[in-house]
Amino acid sequence: MRFFSFHLMPYPALPDDYDGPAWVTCPNDLFDPKVGNEVYNRYLDELVYAEELGFDGVCVNEHHQNAYGLMPSPNLMASILARQTKRVKIAVVGNALPLYDPPTRVAEEFAMIDNISNGRLIAGFVVGGGPEYYSFSINPAHAREKFQEAHDIIIKAWTEPGPQEYIGKHYRLRFLNTWPRPVQQPHPEVWIPGVGSLETMEFVARHHYAYMGIPYFHIDVFDRSFRLFREACEREGYTYEPKQAGWLIPIYVAETDEEARRQYEDHFWYFVKRLLPGINIQPPGYTSLRSMENIMKGANTFAISLDNWKQAEEGFYAVVGSPKTVLEKLEQNLSRLGTGNLLGLFQLGTLPADLTRRNLELFANEVMPKLRERFPDGKAMLETAGAVA
Amino acid sequence: MGAMTTTTVATQAGGVQLRRGGSGEPLVYLHSAGGEGEGLALLDRLAERFDVVAPMFPGFGESEGIEQIDDMEDAVFHLLDLFEQLDLVSPAVLGMSLGGWMGIELATRYPERVSKLVVVNPAGLYIEGAEIKDLFGRSPAEMAEDLFADQSHPMAQMMHQVSVSMSQAGGSALAIPFDLLKPQLQTMAATARLAWDPYLHNPKLRKRLHRITAPTLVIRGKEDTLIPAAHAQAYAREIPGAKLVEMPNAAHLIAVERPDELAELVIDFLSS
Repeated sequence: MRFFSFHLMPYPALPDDYDGPAWVTCPNDLFDPKVGNEVYNRYLDELVYAEELGFDGVCVNEHHQNAYGLMPSPNLMASILARQTKRVKIAVVGNALPLYDPPTRVAEEFAMIDNISNGRLIAGFVVGGGPEYYSFSINPAHAREKFQEAHDIIIKAWTEPGPQEYIGKHYRLRFLNTWPRPVQQPHPEVWIPGVGSLETMEFVARHHYAYMGIPYFHIDVFDRSFRLFREACEREGYTYEPKQAGWLIPIYVAETDEEARRQYEDHFWYFVKRLLPGINIQPPGYTSLRSMENIMKGANTFAISLDNWKQAEEGFYAVVGSPKTVLEKLEQNLSRLGTGNLLGLFQLGTLPADLTRRNLELFANEVMPKLRERFPDGKAMLETAGAVA
Repeated sequence: MGAMTTTTVATQAGGVQLRRGGSGEPLVYLHSAGGEGEGLALLDRLAERFDVVAPMFPGFGESEGIEQIDDMEDAVFHLLDLFEQLDLVSPAVLGMSLGGWMGIELATRYPERVSKLVVVNPAGLYIEGAEIKDLFGRSPAEMAEDLFADQSHPMAQMMHQVSVSMSQAGGSALAIPFDLLKPQLQTMAATARLAWDPYLHNPKLRKRLHRITAPTLVIRGKEDTLIPAAHAQAYAREIPGAKLVEMPNAAHLIAVERPDELAELVIDFLSS
């Protein structure tokens, strides 16, 4: 079991009277650079603190033109972390490949981070969220093709001697010859986040990469996604390993269950009701009909439609409570999902610095060690025999 | 009436669903991004005077092969393939919106393949200060306001209804039953391939308009709020000899909302 502290770096100061989407068209005069200066530095400190507390890694991600996450360039954040940490894995989950032209840029920047950190990068590749295709005017109908080609270019750049040539439909590179090359050989570990698209799962299974389940759905949706992913691995002729799966989940630990809810709930709702609206826009042609049908099976459980805490708690949209409660809930779900990576969001919405640090400490000291014991590396995690079809 | 019969035509891209009916000179109907065709009264009216040939573009209806089409150039070559298959040497072409743009692209590149051209609220141009409104990210209710002059039209009513269901589900299109959503997803995905970027226009088109030789009629719905009047005006000005007619009580989707008046205008123009 590996433990990661994942930061979205949200904008915590949307005015109370703004009720529009947090994405694409959220007016950028709502962004206050004074807040920006404060939160960027604070959020980086929170990630650095995770190393001190014994986490195995930290995660950053990429989103554009929104208040949900202030990391249009996660590689800038990762390069700072490469210098400010010494031990943890740095997972960039991920770079939205179709947004880089040419995608050589991703091969270069990821290799730089891997060199600076001496082989601590986890390379995440994503297609990019639906809103990004509006924000960057990139044709969503070409999203999957571009992702495929960009992926092939990056892996080729890292693993085959250059100069070489790549001639595809979307990218034509006559001299592909990336300097630097990554420290990790043949290349850094690859993670691919997904919301339930079958094409994505099949791609991850085929390449023996790791599949990260994206949150904000009912736990049953995760259950189904990871089962489909395990089935995709079986179709490729092998049994998945727990380290090939990751569960991304908001976590909040306080002294007691009551205190945890009291301290956390408002910040959770800011996230759900203020920062999520607009994230679920689906540009045309972005997802195949086959995958769309699958994604829609979970769509009515998307966190935006939550109305009360009971639903949030029962559906495991966040795991919140005393150390004992959080441990039990995580144990129960990890043995159901079979994910060998736990990606905790310890800061969410407007959760302030002091509560975030306390949350990280309580989790690291009282929950993480017990979960490490319960799920030792290299052991099967799934409780139900025959869960793999 | 039901003058139209449906067949499948093999093209390079794949099988194309074709509605055909009536007799007279051939008239090719190119549908809009809405993919109208099935049960369209306009086609029956036109079939009283013409041999109406109404293909569904790849990605619309049952037509295959959208994955082989990346842009308007591919679309024009697809039309040429289809014309060859149907022995259409130089038919009259009637295009709605996206289909109007497609007809204009065909007529600029291969003027000899279009005998007469009628375009209704055609897309295809970028005019600063008169931008085409967003087609890909707005609610069905907002779209209905642009598409229909009369919001009590059954299709407009349905679009308003869908918006209500969506807002009840946090603004997500995922609230709509998949069977209902599927054709909409398909047509929007096909439209995106042609028109996401550049958005509903070809920057090179304007300087090519002078090449069109077919007598051309540009029809604009006076209440079309999707594509501003400047577009129809620019086409009418820059296509040699083109005529502009503005229809009152009509918005963007004239083919659906005002089939009789539209058929009359088209028949008059093509018969003159």
